[in-house]
Amino acid sequence: MSSGALSPVRLGLIWRRLDGIVDQVSETFVRAAFSVVVRDNYDMAFSLFDAQGRQLTQSKRSIPSFMGTLPRTLQAVLERFPTEQLKPGDTIISNDPWIGTGHLNDISMVHPIFRDDRLIAFAASTAHTVDIGGAPSPTARDRFEEGLCIPICKIVEAGRESPAVIDFLSENLRQPDETLGDIRAQFAAYRDCTEKLHAMMAEEGLADLTPLADEIIARSEASMRAAIALLPDGAYQDGFDIDGVDQPLRVACAVRIAGDRLAVDFAGTSPQVRWPINSVLNYTQAYARYAVKCLLDPGAPNNAGSLAPISIAAPEGCLLNATPPAPVWGRHLSGHYVPPAIFGALAPILPDRVVAESGSPLWNVYFAGRLDAGGEPFVKMFFMNGGHGARPHGDGPGCLSFPSNVSNQPIEAFEHQVPMLVAEKCFVPDSGGGGRYRGGNAQRLRFRSLSAHPITMTIRHERVQFPPRGLLGGLPGTTGLDLVNGEVIPAKGRSELSRGDEVTFQTAGGGGLFAVADRAREVIEADIESGLVTEDKARATYGHDR
Amino acid sequence: MTADRGPRDEVASWRVGVDIGGTFTDVVLWDAQSGRMILEKLLTTPDDPSRAVLDGVERVLREVGIAADQLSSVIHGTTLVANALIERKGVSTGLITTAGFRDVLEIGREWRYDQFNLDIEMPRPLVPRSLRLEVTERIDAGGSVLTPLDNQDVVGAVGALREAGVASVAVCLLHAYLNPDHERAVAEALRRDLPDIAVSLSSDVSPELGEYERTSTTVANAYVHPIFRDYVARLIEALQGMGYRRDFLLVLSDGRCVRADVAQRYPIRLVQSGPAAGAEAARLFGELAGFDDLLCFDMGGTTAKACLIPDGEPERAVRFEVARETRFAEGSGLPLQIPAIDMIEIGAGGGSIARVDRRGLLQVGPDSAGADPGPVCYGQGNQLPTVTDCDLLLGYLDEASFLGGRMRLDRAAAERAVGEHLAGPLGIGVVEAAWGVHETVTANMAQAATIHAIERALDVTRFAMLAIGGAGPVHACAMARKMNIGRLVCPTGAGVASAIGMLASSISFEIARAAPSSIDALDFARATALLEGMDAEASALVAGAGVEADLVSRRFSAMMRYRGQGYEIEAPVALDAVRQGDRAALLESFSQAYRGRYGRSEEMPVELLSWRLAVVGPRSSLAETLAERGGEGAEVPAPGGHRPVWFDDRFIETPVYDRGQLMPGARINGPAIIEEVESTLVVPTEFALSVDRALNLILTPVA
Repeated sequence: MSSGALSPVRLGLIWRRLDGIVDQVSETFVRAAFSVVVRDNYDMAFSLFDAQGRQLTQSKRSIPSFMGTLPRTLQAVLERFPTEQLKPGDTIISNDPWIGTGHLNDISMVHPIFRDDRLIAFAASTAHTVDIGGAPSPTARDRFEEGLCIPICKIVEAGRESPAVIDFLSENLRQPDETLGDIRAQFAAYRDCTEKLHAMMAEEGLADLTPLADEIIARSEASMRAAIALLPDGAYQDGFDIDGVDQPLRVACAVRIAGDRLAVDFAGTSPQVRWPINSVLNYTQAYARYAVKCLLDPGAPNNAGSLAPISIAAPEGCLLNATPPAPVWGRHLSGHYVPPAIFGALAPILPDRVVAESGSPLWNVYFAGRLDAGGEPFVKMFFMNGGHGARPHGDGPGCLSFPSNVSNQPIEAFEHQVPMLVAEKCFVPDSGGGGRYRGGNAQRLRFRSLSAHPITMTIRHERVQFPPRGLLGGLPGTTGLDLVNGEVIPAKGRSELSRGDEVTFQTAGGGGLFAVADRAREVIEADIESGLVTEDKARATYGHDR
Repeated sequence: MTADRGPRDEVASWRVGVDIGGTFTDVVLWDAQSGRMILEKLLTTPDDPSRAVLDGVERVLREVGIAADQLSSVIHGTTLVANALIERKGVSTGLITTAGFRDVLEIGREWRYDQFNLDIEMPRPLVPRSLRLEVTERIDAGGSVLTPLDNQDVVGAVGALREAGVASVAVCLLHAYLNPDHERAVAEALRRDLPDIAVSLSSDVSPELGEYERTSTTVANAYVHPIFRDYVARLIEALQGMGYRRDFLLVLSDGRCVRADVAQRYPIRLVQSGPAAGAEAARLFGELAGFDDLLCFDMGGTTAKACLIPDGEPERAVRFEVARETRFAEGSGLPLQIPAIDMIEIGAGGGSIARVDRRGLLQVGPDSAGADPGPVCYGQGNQLPTVTDCDLLLGYLDEASFLGGRMRLDRAAAERAVGEHLAGPLGIGVVEAAWGVHETVTANMAQAATIHAIERALDVTRFAMLAIGGAGPVHACAMARKMNIGRLVCPTGAGVASAIGMLASSISFEIARAAPSSIDALDFARATALLEGMDAEASALVAGAGVEADLVSRRFSAMMRYRGQGYEIEAPVALDAVRQGDRAALLESFSQAYRGRYGRSEEMPVELLSWRLAVVGPRSSLAETLAERGGEGAEVPAPGGHRPVWFDDRFIETPVYDRGQLMPGARINGPAIIEEVESTLVVPTEFALSVDRALNLILTPVA
């Protein structure tokens, strides 16, 4: 086939094929992975960039934050290792929060792809690692307490693993086999990606990816600009309080639309705090761009072009642009408020697009202890999504991840790894906010320790004070709740569990959308029939009598 | 097959393949010795699908004048299970689960299958919340009983389900894949108090870790269980009444066969039964035509499917999804833990209903008129125009020669329907509207099949398309043109290819046994006993299927992984190596398989999850007999007639050939229509056709 100009038909096909390659390669990683957090929770991303470092595509199951933070990570890698210092078979690693995903627990790697000794692309991936050493805790005062920071370095050089880097990791991690196993599973994925990319280029007669990348980026940028241009120019604001740690904090957001450009500014947001809930700018930007893309151009692909017309700013030193060495372990506790802030700001001009607030920031829990047999240490986490906000054309689904896209893990898999019993995982009736469209139900999880050794439990949960808001007349969902043996515990803290102790987590319910008076009678009846809404609640919210 | 046959062998060389589609039931009778093949196509009888099957079997037996007791095997595939799930026409089903977990089925895995779309529909559970009941009990992750089963709860749940009037119950308790005792106790109570209700246990249906996927699989099984069980029972009874004496075999979603008793318990494993047999047929015909890389395009009355067969081997998957909320969106359907040939649904078949949507644009499918009432032109009461109605109006199908003239189509009714529901609202002519429907459905399928290939990093333009199913040959050329595919194969019996595929496939079974252990601690004596037990079980299955034991090949394998991983790799194993306790051989086999998949191996401890045994009967001689079928006579026969057919924006008086007259070497240039009883091949103006030695029609675009 000739390498002439790309016809729209051929471009479409090659583009789709590129998407197909990253999806397959990402599955290679997941299937070879050693951690539940990758293979069940899918807390990962796999993305492809051109030789200039422009993002081209990412796997379908890449989570929104990571797909958005990887471009900056690659840029930082190239600042440290300019392309002339990269060789075939190199892989560069780092978990620096400020160039990465905002906390140390996500390890990112970049793998330059060569063809005939010429750099043609970069594969890059990020995966969560449950343990990164150190003592991350809800009271950490700086990022040094939060674990091992891996500076930008080559973990593989010309195809050979660096013993120094591997040894550093092994010595500092509680579960080195799991983390290194995941890292090596990514090596397998890079190799797979290289082979598939080579095969595709050979079959399509492409000498390099630049003409393809130019088209992908130009067309995506045009699509996003056209979507922005449809909106009325102006400045739109939103602001709300969030739980914080020792006092409520404020998230403030202004969205300015001028022609085909959109700018988001978080000026007015509280200053960074001494608690590990600060977000770095890269993470804030990732979620801001994601939110705009969802609202304005959801059907188009996501890449450097679609993000170009959007600029994101946050004052240096604020909660959403913290400066080092701020503690950042729980950076999603502020960062996950970015999409609802943008939705809230744009709700008046996009009432048919916005969703009400979801029961997020994402909840999770860490359990650390020792296995009864052998006494090996373990650190495992468990994710719990809240109710999704009501959507413009229907109720919010119960327990659906937003703005992240982290899956749950099978309880049966969890119980194999942790000496605990999950006694309950169910919907919480009456937890979704009322409205013409109801917010999604929250979930309740109960864990019981079966361990002879004490288990240290760490949580950092939001939304126990301020519930997810309804939008455009909808009512808020319910707040979350954390209990140990029936007693309320602080939402951010650490406790020790003895055998038989029981913990209950109840996530937050999604907010409702539009006025309750507009909810259809038969839908309320169906809610009662299913038990997701009680008769009392239906009467109180909708004045509904059977 | 051996040359020296006794008289008994001769008698037992007749095999029957039966495929039930949503619209048609296909029956093929084949004599392995003479190569003679009899094809039958009948309308599916949805109220009792066994009626069409028995009717068809009787017809083919009568035609060659043999009795049912002379058949060596009857193999059956069906889309009954898939259709019941897609159309949500299963039975009212209840679920009994561990206290605290009734919402697992609805909560799912908590991820959004389309990251940027804020408005996605999540799959609706097959069992509503009010019929999901809980019992106090608990098995721990080691398989031990932590909390005994509360019999009072069981009595309560059974009572509630009786009151609700459910016809089937799924039981899925936590960790039941390790210890099925509680599930079995619940089943016993159900059978005692509700003897007429079908019971599906997760520990039987899908004994794998992962409560959501296991529950989803078990519930789907329960949802179709009574319908399928009764259907198979009726079939067996009737076949036995006719004198058939062997085991009744059914095709699974991965193309393998099982005995009816297994299939009746696990109907969910047949969710892709018919199409899997279609893939087997594609492999057979592709080999005959000499093409390695094939795209099997199978379009029936209710569904259209695409399956990629690179290098003659269909792609396989261990996960399957059915009844997607959003067409083509992975993650939007109900997950099933079953092995299956990897194929995708690319359309809703000839029965797809066409309408004008709210945007004022033509929309085809996803709903189908199926067989009953079927397209408007079938005259069975449907008023909404379908793809088949439009194909009739365009001249691709003929009202008089459809199904060899056994079924007369009502052209006037089709014209009225297209006029009223499509042409009128769109303000265009009837033919124009019909052409619009044909183009839309073809373009939709072409795009979906292309994406499927691309997502597997395969260049579909290098593939040859094999068109099967009743409607496949009608749409194949137009679709190939859109996909830039340069070669097409239309086999004889394309319209009944799945049924032929059942005869082509070797009779084979797979047996799996979970036996988790680290390789370091593997008890080889126990493993040997286990494998020998599996071997004995396989021998019994093979004997029941009428296959001689010494003609059967056995392949043992082990599912292994590095400790800490969640997905296994299948590594071949020699039984002797296990008998001799050869640990190194086991590890080497794993490393080799791992390197093949991941390009590297690790220095980490290895564990074994399960053993597998695949037994494969002798290869059917169908390929050889088909390859020799072609007679001589490169002459192009005179067309049997002409009719106006819509090509290039006008009706062209087009020659119509009887496929039976086309002999090897014959060449025909489009436009042409080639009719056989079960299907019609449409050859557009820019295509040329030749007949190969096996009587396949090979089509290529003319430059």
